[in-house]
Amino acid sequence: MEIEIISFGQITEFINNQKIEVDGIADTNAFKQYLENRFPALKDIKYKLALNKNIVQQNTEITNRATIAIMPPFSGG
Amino acid sequence: MASLNGGIIFSNLNMSEKKIKNIFVKGPITPAFIADSIAKHNSKTAIGGHSIFMGQVRKDEIDGKFVAAIAYTAYEELALEKMHQIREEIFEQYPLSCMHIYHSLGTVKTGEICLFVFTSSAHRKPAIAACSEIVDRLKAELPIWGKEIFEDETHQWKENI
Repeated sequence: MEIEIISFGQITEFINNQKIEVDGIADTNAFKQYLENRFPALKDIKYKLALNKNIVQQNTEITNRATIAIMPPFSGG
Repeated sequence: MASLNGGIIFSNLNMSEKKIKNIFVKGPITPAFIADSIAKHNSKTAIGGHSIFMGQVRKDEIDGKFVAAIAYTAYEELALEKMHQIREEIFEQYPLSCMHIYHSLGTVKTGEICLFVFTSSAHRKPAIAACSEIVDRLKAELPIWGKEIFEDETHQWKENI
């Protein structure tokens, strides 16, 4: 399965935008686990995911060719 | 990226599709742009009160270093979707004649304006309340990030409190 990862804010400093080919990541909880294993720095920050431009509020199924944004706390204004 | 005349980026005439207004401006929001925006309302004679909020980049001191600028980035598509939703909710909540919102992207130096929220109504109270609520919601809900750049070119990521 292909997932496109895009990152924002301070997360851009250690996760580049990239496409990954993975199997066995069925939902956003599993994806978080994958991310935190691969990028341990993420464990120390609060972050939210947006799956195909929808902010993830609860565990959600991921389908092939999803785009997932990793977003640190907002600081606009 | 918006031009400073506040153009609508996904403009279309089909009323069944929602119009998503752009709020992003490249670089600082100039006093001239704000003045022009105010001037455009003199033909809207049902308006009796305007409320304006302007966010200005503050020269904060952190560990002996001064902020020189903030560089803003956003998840633009998501931010505009979310802003559209907030805009609709605020219009339902308050009897407003007008609502204009602009936020900078890219570098804005200390002392320059990075946020401009402008609401108008027949009487002042809805304009004031809506303006304040828009600013609160925008800061909490829009995926925008500010990187504070210090005079020595080091940086830290801003956090809204």
